[in-house]
Amino acid sequence: MRLLHHLQHWLSGTGRPLRVADFVPETHPVRQWADTFPWTVLVAAVDRNFARRFPTPTARGRAPVATRVLLALELLKHELHCSDEQICSQLRTDLAVMYACGIAEVQVNRPQAHFVLPELLTQFRSRLDEPLLQELLALQAAAAMEEGAVSPAHVVVDTFPSEQGSQRVNEAATLYKAKKKSCRLSRRSRRSVRPRGQA
Amino acid sequence: MRCFGRQCRGHGKVFVSLVRQTETQLLTTGEAVVALARTAQVQVQTTTQLTADQRTRWDTTLTMAVAIHQQIVTQSRRLTHSQPLTRCKIVNAYDATIAPICKGKSNCPTQFGRKPGIIGEPATGFVFAARLPVGNPSDTSYVLPLVDQVQAACARITTRATPSIYSLAGDLAVNDATLRESLHNRGILTVGIPRSVEPLLPTPSPEAINEMLATADLHRKRTPRQGELACAAGYSRPVVESIIASLLSRGAGQLRYKGWHGACVQLTMAVMAHNAATIRRIRSGRLTSRAQKFRRLLHLRPLNPLKIKQGTN
Repeated sequence: MRLLHHLQHWLSGTGRPLRVADFVPETHPVRQWADTFPWTVLVAAVDRNFARRFPTPTARGRAPVATRVLLALELLKHELHCSDEQICSQLRTDLAVMYACGIAEVQVNRPQAHFVLPELLTQFRSRLDEPLLQELLALQAAAAMEEGAVSPAHVVVDTFPSEQGSQRVNEAATLYKAKKKSCRLSRRSRRSVRPRGQA
Repeated sequence: MRCFGRQCRGHGKVFVSLVRQTETQLLTTGEAVVALARTAQVQVQTTTQLTADQRTRWDTTLTMAVAIHQQIVTQSRRLTHSQPLTRCKIVNAYDATIAPICKGKSNCPTQFGRKPGIIGEPATGFVFAARLPVGNPSDTSYVLPLVDQVQAACARITTRATPSIYSLAGDLAVNDATLRESLHNRGILTVGIPRSVEPLLPTPSPEAINEMLATADLHRKRTPRQGELACAAGYSRPVVESIIASLLSRGAGQLRYKGWHGACVQLTMAVMAHNAATIRRIRSGRLTSRAQKFRRLLHLRPLNPLKIKQGTN
């Protein structure tokens, strides 16, 4: 319940709390994936960086969403191929996602629509700077090496191109797709009209 | 009418006179926008309703917009008059950090985007560090910053002896004498970086290994056994492609967040998600026979799942 208090105030509902770990089997891919991260050091690094760069002038006001939840959601987005909205909605209903976000217990509260709003993820991302991202990757690599899982003895370097995509569909793309679709449809309709056996 | 690129890649015909006419029209329209931007800049400085921070932000944005417009004008004039372009050309007015990438596409229209660099373990595919520079620099410039990042990660290890990099492999693009020398000075073998298009020998003779160590002046720092392993772990395109494919499937192929900063966030998160999946595979023993053999040779003991700490959550 400790982490719950850091989440939105309306997260703690009424009734018996459910233990998330009891519902997610140990063989579940998301649970196994989440257990590989050194969460304590990652969260400490993010908190330290944010406290230095964005100091909070007062301790008053509503408690923020826990860094652990936001960081896990951002990583889960890539693992589960979700958008911000989809992952936030999965956090509300999927116990495996709750486990990955470090939520130990949850109380059922049906009218509650969201645990975390998608807008918060955008804000969290905008605060991550390059040195912090490099530090997070280094911490993960150091934890893996410390565990004996990997060794940097022989390494390989390479580059690969990534195109800059756009989430919004522009007018040109819509027009192009519409033309293509209409051509395909007309071709299909012509084919269906043609009698069988005719080339 | 002029053609360029392979016809199978799409429409390659360009109506040069039409392009020139359109360019003139667009530049005439753009001139008015520049004048407006300059007037707005003056207004921003004189208005009292904005705070100092807001004023600075608007001033920077407007200055950048005017500068980018100037660069686009020069660029388009050179293009339409068949003059070669300068190195730093703008391909997107809203994001000046995107650059053309010619990699892997010979005789084809150039692809625009970013070029992330990765350094990873060839056996399991764990990525130790990733880098996303601004623009499209040479592949050689990626290597030393990436090696620095790996060494910084190694320095964070406290419970066991600090590991070090024995050898580094790469493709022909990173074949550079200065780079080789700086890697040798750090005690890193470069036998995995080819010097020609000839394939590397995976099992060289002991004499060849001794010669490699002597050439790199590392026969005191590195053992012949390490040299042998370095040759075996040399650059392999399928291995690298498998790492890249895993990253692309986690969203590193199409960078959806805005700007260079957004691309950095997306790439790092994709790499971290990929690394977690790799460790999961290692823990559950789902590795290729090649990876298992490498792990045995590197004395990476198989992990006992009963001893893995459960308190990570």
